[in-house]
Amino acid sequence: MPITHSFDYQKPGSLREALALLARKSAVALAGGTDLIGHLKEGLVSPELLVDLKGLKELKKIEHRGGALHIGALVTFAEVIDSKVIGKKLPVLAEIARKVASVGIRNRATLVGNLCSAVPCLDTGPILVAMDALVLVKGKRGSRKIPAEKWFIAPRKTARKPGELVTGISIPLPRGKAAACYLKLGRYRGEDLAQASVFVSIEQSSRGAKARNFRVAFGSVGPVPCRARKIEKALAAGGALIDMVALKKLVPAEISPITDIRASKEYRLHMCQVMLERALAAADGRLNGTGPAYGASLL
Amino acid sequence: MSGHKFIGKSVVRVDGKAKLTGAAAFVDDLEFGPGLLHAVIIESPHAYAKIRKIDFAKALDVEGVVKVVTGKEFPYRFGLYMHDRYVFAQDHVRFVGEQVAAVIARTPAVAKKAAGLVKVEYEVLKPVLDVETALKEDARLIHPELGNYHHVPWFFPKKDTNIAHFRKVRKGDAEQGFREADHVFEDTYTVPRYAHCSIETHGAIGLFDHSRRLTVWAASQSPHTQRHLFAEALAPLGLKHKDIRVIAPSVGGGFGGKAGVSMEILAAALATTVQGSPVKVHWTREQEFYNTYQRQGVVAKMRVGVKNDGTITALEQKLYWDAGAYVEYGANVVNAAGLSASGPYRIPNVHIDSVCVYTNLPPGGPYRGFGYSEFLFGLESHFNEVAKKLGIDPVEFRRKNAICTGDVLNYGGKMNPSGLLECIDKVAREIDWGKKRVSADPRKAIGKGFALFWKAPAMPPNASSTAFLKFNEDGSLNILVSAMEIGQGFLTVMAQIAAEVLSVPPEKIRVETPDTDRNPYEWQTVASHITWGTGNAVKKAAIDAREQILDIVSSALGQPRESLYLDDEQVRSRSDAGFALPLRDFVINGIMMKDGTFRGGPIIGRGMFMPEFASALSDPETSQGGKPNVHYTVGASAIEIEVDRETGKITIPKVVLGVDCGKVLNPDLLKGQVTGGMVQGLATVLYEDMRFDEKGRLLNPNFTDYKIPTALDTPEEIVSIFVEHEQPDGPFGARGVGEHTMIPAAPIIANAIEDALGIRIRSMPITAEKIALAIKDS
Repeated sequence: MPITHSFDYQKPGSLREALALLARKSAVALAGGTDLIGHLKEGLVSPELLVDLKGLKELKKIEHRGGALHIGALVTFAEVIDSKVIGKKLPVLAEIARKVASVGIRNRATLVGNLCSAVPCLDTGPILVAMDALVLVKGKRGSRKIPAEKWFIAPRKTARKPGELVTGISIPLPRGKAAACYLKLGRYRGEDLAQASVFVSIEQSSRGAKARNFRVAFGSVGPVPCRARKIEKALAAGGALIDMVALKKLVPAEISPITDIRASKEYRLHMCQVMLERALAAADGRLNGTGPAYGASLL
Repeated sequence: MSGHKFIGKSVVRVDGKAKLTGAAAFVDDLEFGPGLLHAVIIESPHAYAKIRKIDFAKALDVEGVVKVVTGKEFPYRFGLYMHDRYVFAQDHVRFVGEQVAAVIARTPAVAKKAAGLVKVEYEVLKPVLDVETALKEDARLIHPELGNYHHVPWFFPKKDTNIAHFRKVRKGDAEQGFREADHVFEDTYTVPRYAHCSIETHGAIGLFDHSRRLTVWAASQSPHTQRHLFAEALAPLGLKHKDIRVIAPSVGGGFGGKAGVSMEILAAALATTVQGSPVKVHWTREQEFYNTYQRQGVVAKMRVGVKNDGTITALEQKLYWDAGAYVEYGANVVNAAGLSASGPYRIPNVHIDSVCVYTNLPPGGPYRGFGYSEFLFGLESHFNEVAKKLGIDPVEFRRKNAICTGDVLNYGGKMNPSGLLECIDKVAREIDWGKKRVSADPRKAIGKGFALFWKAPAMPPNASSTAFLKFNEDGSLNILVSAMEIGQGFLTVMAQIAAEVLSVPPEKIRVETPDTDRNPYEWQTVASHITWGTGNAVKKAAIDAREQILDIVSSALGQPRESLYLDDEQVRSRSDAGFALPLRDFVINGIMMKDGTFRGGPIIGRGMFMPEFASALSDPETSQGGKPNVHYTVGASAIEIEVDRETGKITIPKVVLGVDCGKVLNPDLLKGQVTGGMVQGLATVLYEDMRFDEKGRLLNPNFTDYKIPTALDTPEEIVSIFVEHEQPDGPFGARGVGEHTMIPAAPIIANAIEDALGIRIRSMPITAEKIALAIKDS
C-alpha cells in the first residue's frame, strides 16, 4: 500500500539537533517505525517532517546503574531479549519482550516506541506502572522524569508534550531477592495483541524473612495499564498465606474491562482472576527457585 | 497394484527449486516497465444504497491521473453459474467495499490520492444482513430483477424473493421414516463466514493492445474459465475468445478464493479503457477479505429419526445460507451441499432444503470444502448427541449407519467404491478410541472426538481437462496443462503419471503454469478434481505418445508391435531381448532408414478427459434422476484434546485423519495435504471468525483480528492414514482428496469438547472464551 502523503526526512547526528528538529511544527520522531509507517500508509497521520533517531548512538544503551535499569529509546525488543544485564537483573522484562508481536517486528520495534503508542493492550505497560518506572523525556527547555503511572493518560495519549522526545526509561530494581511473572492472554499461540495481561512481582522485604512486597498490574482491561494497589495491599497483609478466593474478589474493583472484537468483558474479568492466581504462583515459585522458567507457557 | 516405478512414490516437488530459490515469479513480480498504469478502486461505504451521483472532476485534476472509470462504461451483468454481478456497481451498491469506480494513474500513490477525491452521493437503504431478515415476507429485495437473470439449468431461483437458489432433495419418504423412528432428535447449528487468507492477495494486470487483443496476467486458479468469463462479460466490445489470453504465473495460495472471476474482471475491463497500456490492480489485505469471495455462513436446522438400536430412519436438514450480495459462484456451494447434506450415511428417507439467500454482505463463493465443512459441523455434532442419548458409542453409531459401496445416494445413484468402514476402524484404533486418559494437570480435562466426512467434486457435468505432451531431442519432455499448482503438488503428480506411462523419470519432465494461448483447456483448479480429471488427461496424452512411439518403431524397424514396450527411457521388445532403442534417438528426429530417409518425427501426445456419465438434470422437486457427482471421497477423523477448565484453551496432542483416496500417487504430498487441511480446518473451529457490525461493515479485515494459525498452533502429532479402494475411472485408481482434509476438523473438536466437559457448543468458532464462559455457566 503506497504512502500518499509527502513529508521531509531528516536523520540528525546529535540529540540537540534532533530536539531542534522535533520542535518544528508537525515533526514526528521515527525509531523502529513499526507503528508509524503503518499509520502513514493508512493515512492516519500526516507529519511534515520525520526525524529519524537511528543515528543517535547514545539512545541505544542498556545500562545498570544506581539501582536501576536504564533502557534507551532505540533499544529494540530483540535487544531486550538478548541483553545479559536484563537477563540477570530483570529477567521478566525479557519474558515480556518475547510476547511482543513476532520476531520480525521485535527486530525493529523499540520498547520506548511501545510505551509511546500508549495503546491499552501494550505489553510494557503493566511492568512499568507496577515497578514505578520513570519515563525520561527531553525537550528544548530541559528534561523531565515522568512516573509511568502519570505517563499513561488515556488510550494513545501520554504525558509527552509537543516537541518532547522520550530518550529512555529507568526501572528501579528490587533491592532484595525478587521474582516476577508476566502473563498475556491471546486468542491463539501465535502473535496477538493482549486480550488481557497481568504482571506480578514479589520481593523479599527487609522487614523480615517472611515479609514480602507485592507489585501487581493489569493490561488491556482499562484505558491505561491498571496498578492493582488493593490487591498488593491484601497480599502484603496476608504474609505467606495467599487467600485466592478473597483476592479474586478484589479484581473487579481494580480493572474496567470492555467488550470488543478481541474478547468480552466477562472473559477478560474471569481471565484476570485466573491469570492473577497463576502469575502469583509462578512468581512465588521463581522466588523459591522452584517455579517455571521465564518465558514458559502458563496459559 | 504393485510394480509401479513412479506412482505411489514420494517424488520430490518438481517446482520446489523454483519456489525455494525465488526463481518462481508471482503476479506481483512481473515487470511491465515504466508504462505500467495502476488502478485504485473507489468502494461503497454502505451495505445497501442507491448511487445518486459520482463526481470525479477533482480526481482528474491530479497530475498523473489517466482516467476515471465508473459503471457507466460497463453496463454488463455476468457470472460463473448465474449472471448476477457487475464489473462496477450500476445503480445500486449491495455490500460494503463493492467497487463503484476506479482511478487509473501512473503510480499507485497518485491513484490512491486521486481516489480519495472522487465523491459519490448515495441514498442509503436499510441493509439486509442476515438470512432470517432476508427470508421475511416483506423483506427488501436485494435483486428485484432476479427473475430475469440467466443461470445454469440446475439452479432454481424464486423470483420476487431473496432466494437465489433452492435445492430440494427428497429421497424415500421422510415423514414415514420419522413415524418408523423410536426417537426424533432435532437441533440447530450455526457457522459464520470465513476467509481463505492466501499469503498472496489477488492481483491482475490487463493489457488491451492496439490490435485489440486482451491479455490478463492473474493470480488464478482458473485461467480458462477466467478467459471465458472475460469474453462473456466484455462481448459487447467485440472480443472473441481467441483475442483474450490469460497467463497464470505462480500463485501464492488459492483455497477456492482465486477460482471463478472476482476482482480480475477489473484488470480486464479497465485495460480496454486505456488501450496500449498495461494496467494493474492489486488487492490490499483488507480488500482480499471483503471483495473476493467469502466462505458462506449457514444456519442448519436438522431432525433425525432413529431406532433404539441406532439405525437412522430419516433425516431432515434445512440449510439457510448467507450467500451475500452476489451468488454467481456461491449458489453452487449451496447446491453441492444440498445434494450431500446427509453426510456419508445410509439413510433411506432424506429431506433436504438447501436455500441460497441474498444478503447485503460480501459475495459468498468457493472455499476449500465447498459447503461440506459447514453442514458437517452440525450433522456430525448432532449425530454424537443422538448416539449419546441412545446410549450407543458414537463410533459404533457411525459404523452402523456408514454408507457402503453400492448404497443408494441422495439423488438416486449408487455409491462408488468406498473404504469408509476401513477408515473408521483404522482411525479409531490409532486414537485409542474407548480409552480414557486423565491429565496429570488437575485443571485440564481430556476428551476425544470422532467424525466422518465425505465430499464430491462440485462441477458442471461436462467439466473437462486436456493435456499436451511434447518430447524433446534428449528424450525429456514438457507437459502442457492448464490446471494450477496452488501448493497441492499437482505439477509433480502430473509428471509422475506421464513418467509411469512413458518410463521417463519425473526429473526429465517439466510441467509449468499455463498460458491459455499455448496450453490446452482446463475448466478450473477446484473441486479436488485435478489429480483425477487432469491426471486422466495427462495419462491419456502419455498413452497417445506411447502408442505413436511403438507404432513408428514397429513400422520403421519391423519389430512386432505387440512385443514392444517402454522401459527405462527405451523401447524394448519382449520377443527380442537384445533390442533397446533409446527414446532420445528418435522422438524428435525420427528413425533413419537404410536409404537415409526418416520415419516418424516429433512425438506430441494429446489427452482429453470429460466425464461422460455425469448429468445435472434431475427433478427440481426431489433431485432424483441425474448423476450430478462423479464420485465421493470418504473418510474418518479423530482427535484428542486437552482443555484447560479455567482458560478454555485447548491443546491437541494428536489428530488422525483416514481417507480413502482410491490410490496414493505421492505419499509425501498427500501427507502435506492432510497436514495443511487439518491445520486450516482446526483454525476455523478454534479462532477464525468474520465479524460484521450492524451496518454490514467487516470489523476484522486484517490478521490483527482475524487469526490464522502459526507454526505454534499446529497439533503435536498429525497422523495420516490412507486407504485405497480404487476409483475405476481415476488415474491409477486415484480420486480427489485435496479439500477433504479440512472438512471434519470442526465436528471432531466439538465432539471432543463434549467428551471432555459434557458441554455441547452449537456455533462456530469454538473459542477458548466460549468454552471458558460455558464452563463458568454450567
